[in-house]
Amino acid sequence: MKKWVYVILVLVFFALFLRSCVHKDNPVAESPEIRPKSDVESIVFPPSQKTFTINGINYLQSQAPVGKFGGELRASTIGEGPKTFNPFNSKDNISSLMSDVMYDGLLTTDAEIGAPIPKLAKSITINGNDYIVDIRRGIKWSDGKEITADDVVFTWQNIIFGGYGNTSTRDSLVIDGKLPSVKKIDKYTVKFTTVKPFAPFIRMLSTPIAPKHIFEPAVKKGKDYFYTFLSTNTDPKTFVTSGAFKLKEYVPAQRVVFERNPNYYIINKNNKKLPYLDRLVYFIVGDLNNEVLKFEGGEIDVIGLQGANVARFKERESHSDYKIYNLGPNTGTMFLTMNLNDRKNKDGKFYVDPIKQRWFRDINFRLACDYAMDRKNMVLNIANGLGAPLFTAESLNSIFLNENLQPYERNLEKSKELLKNAGYFWDKKGHLRDKYNNHVEFDLYTNAGNTEREAIGVMVKQDLEDLGMKVNFKPVEFNTLVNKLVNTLDWDMVIMGLTGSPLEPNGGKNVWMSDGTLHMFNQRSEDDKLSKRLDWEKEIDEMYTKGALATSFDERKKYYDEYQRIAYEQKPFIYIYSPIIIMAIRTKFKNIFPSALTGMTYNLEEIYINKEAK
Amino acid sequence: MQVLIYILKRILQAIPLLVIVSLISFFIIRLSPVDPLAELKLNPSVSKETLQKETERLGLDKPIIVQYGKWAKSFLQGNLGITSNGEQVSTKLKERIPNTLLLAVIVIFLTWLVGMPLGVLAALKWKSPLDRILTVLTSIGMAIPSFFFAVLLLIFAVKTGWFPVGGLTSSNFAEMSLSAKVWDLAHHLFLPVLVLFTISLAGLQRQMRANLLDVLDSDYVKFAKAKGLSNFKVIYKHALRNAINPMITLLGFEFAGLLSGAALTEYVFQYPGLGRLILEAVLRSDINLVMASLMMGAIMLIAGNLIADILLILTDPRIRVKRGAA
Repeated sequence: MKKWVYVILVLVFFALFLRSCVHKDNPVAESPEIRPKSDVESIVFPPSQKTFTINGINYLQSQAPVGKFGGELRASTIGEGPKTFNPFNSKDNISSLMSDVMYDGLLTTDAEIGAPIPKLAKSITINGNDYIVDIRRGIKWSDGKEITADDVVFTWQNIIFGGYGNTSTRDSLVIDGKLPSVKKIDKYTVKFTTVKPFAPFIRMLSTPIAPKHIFEPAVKKGKDYFYTFLSTNTDPKTFVTSGAFKLKEYVPAQRVVFERNPNYYIINKNNKKLPYLDRLVYFIVGDLNNEVLKFEGGEIDVIGLQGANVARFKERESHSDYKIYNLGPNTGTMFLTMNLNDRKNKDGKFYVDPIKQRWFRDINFRLACDYAMDRKNMVLNIANGLGAPLFTAESLNSIFLNENLQPYERNLEKSKELLKNAGYFWDKKGHLRDKYNNHVEFDLYTNAGNTEREAIGVMVKQDLEDLGMKVNFKPVEFNTLVNKLVNTLDWDMVIMGLTGSPLEPNGGKNVWMSDGTLHMFNQRSEDDKLSKRLDWEKEIDEMYTKGALATSFDERKKYYDEYQRIAYEQKPFIYIYSPIIIMAIRTKFKNIFPSALTGMTYNLEEIYINKEAK
Repeated sequence: MQVLIYILKRILQAIPLLVIVSLISFFIIRLSPVDPLAELKLNPSVSKETLQKETERLGLDKPIIVQYGKWAKSFLQGNLGITSNGEQVSTKLKERIPNTLLLAVIVIFLTWLVGMPLGVLAALKWKSPLDRILTVLTSIGMAIPSFFFAVLLLIFAVKTGWFPVGGLTSSNFAEMSLSAKVWDLAHHLFLPVLVLFTISLAGLQRQMRANLLDVLDSDYVKFAKAKGLSNFKVIYKHALRNAINPMITLLGFEFAGLLSGAALTEYVFQYPGLGRLILEAVLRSDINLVMASLMMGAIMLIAGNLIADILLILTDPRIRVKRGAA
């Protein structure tokens, strides 16, 4: 008898436990609406910083409201932390971020319109192939030495063109096998000359400038030594920087601490030297979840939010100490692409089955797939509504975006019509067959582990199966997929994502030029670089070449508009959506002017803390 | 003398073992589909030349056996090589070893300090309510996955604000006074130690309890009791000394675990230890770093076993006699 009492008690307890779980899972409040328009459009930016001369020193004066000195900003980076503090060796985002904090370039990007604006340079004059840079007079490195033309020439001539460290800047500047030249005119003037007019060059001038008196001994010791120079084991005291902050402490796998550079050359409207903040701390956290917990626990001040977290934080925003900003779509593009390859591999076998080649190389087939995509649905269900349907090759925040290319809704009728006109038909079971009676069936790959892409894959599969195609969706390991895309080339369709630059389309030339290393949809292996190009591939090649050579923005825009139009019509990539960047920052931080182009905390020197204001 | 010869023999035996371990690990890592350059290959701004240079720098253009030979040669010379980011593996390990040792030593010290007496207590009060309660508690401790427990505690830390969310030191650690530093470390260490402590305590307590129960049930203990020895003497002089032998072997294994790190717990708590470093290195196929840590693990295991065996020779006369006879 007693036993029964226990059993009932346990059951009741268990039921209550389950009940409480169920209750917790249903949010009481309605899920808040995510602002459809990005906040950056309504941000009022302060006027650009301008040169202001005191005692012969060309300071840069911030035009943002004057703030209070002191305090610290705590941010975070996900992953293993910086791999080097040498700006010329960095190959990953975190290392680049760290060197951007410490080293300024000659130019920087205007947060509002994306134009190149002077930073270490006082002004820049472009004269055909010549770029004459006038450097600020009297500004200093953090150790008190003056920044002069010698540093600039040394950085470009010896480090970058010398092939030290990460050579991607150098490689992208080789035109007809030649590099631009650098010449010192006087102590404060440097002249760069490119071989041909080369528009992307001006963006390269935002590359950090190195202090010659520190880097020269390292360069003299050779490339292998340079590779370990200013590694993460270097004593922070030995760093000499030009940026707003200098390194104070690096604790592996925990944090990077920067302190203000007392010799910084940006001043506020009261002519006091910036930055306002005493310290800047980057916590190194292993994953997104930990970052969110740290923000919730009040250990970090600024965070990028994703997925369901946005709704959760938004709900609590009104009675919390942070504010959420929607920075609009980022440069990430998610797309579906087909293998248009019609060549044979070394063993004389086709990379792609000739039957499938006929489908993929048929524009009607590609368009039909495109019209079958339910992008809205994917944004809603996969990106939690935090995405913008995408139709163009340039990302939505790009200053080169071709705005004439209109988005459209899913249109299955149109898809079916396109297929019918191209000779496809449906058998009794509703399977799609081509005119040689082959059932349309192919593999769709993406990298396993990326839940977003996997979810997109499932929905793409459904959308395409609505057309009677049979799609075998196979998420594979990332490295296997990369190997398929760049080496073995034996794939049918793939869902991938790439990031680009909102400022410079030329960065995409590895993807769009027909001999590019990432020309995925028609990747040419080393041996058949010269094989026949499709007509529209030729056109895109031409637009890319011309776009890089033209110098004025309007002229360049024409070429890049044209390439986007061709991509829009030919659909080598069927774009799906771009994620939207959502960031939260504590309200005590002032002078926050989020930008779709440069992010949230690009103006580190202007940010200050106002404790009283809520 | 005999002990010395024995040690020498064991060390010689370890050499082929280490060679086999290194061969197997090296080939498994290299044959796995993880491509250290995959990320770079999919970056539109990385040029072909850069990729080529990276391939050469990491030695990926040579056959695996040549790569192994190069690695083995420099390993024998005491050079652990560089990581795929160009940092010295030895400095990278040196950064993390103190942190992992700190955590491991505290956990082992605490578990032995608490686990042994609890085990003895449970065995002496066999089948009493106290024993039952301890059994239930240790069952829970053994059953709960460390990962899950760590996440629970982390959420606890966020909700209450009583503990820092991961890490080992606060951001102003460098400016603290000594006592503040100790307090800061303790504050950060509490939760990870709690997780690892709970889990290893359970195993240790059960082992100790079972050993002592076995011994208490043996004839010589019954005989000693019948002879009229005091209960205290029987248990602490005769029974416990015999029950402790298997624990020494266990200690050898614990020694091996000193540097292996508790990857999952470290990962959840963002603890800057070896476990997290190695986990990240494996995911990236950073061969020199992974090999160094695997070899370190293998050497520690062999050394741990050797130390345990030597300790056993010292504590257990039976082993000494047997060896002498053989």
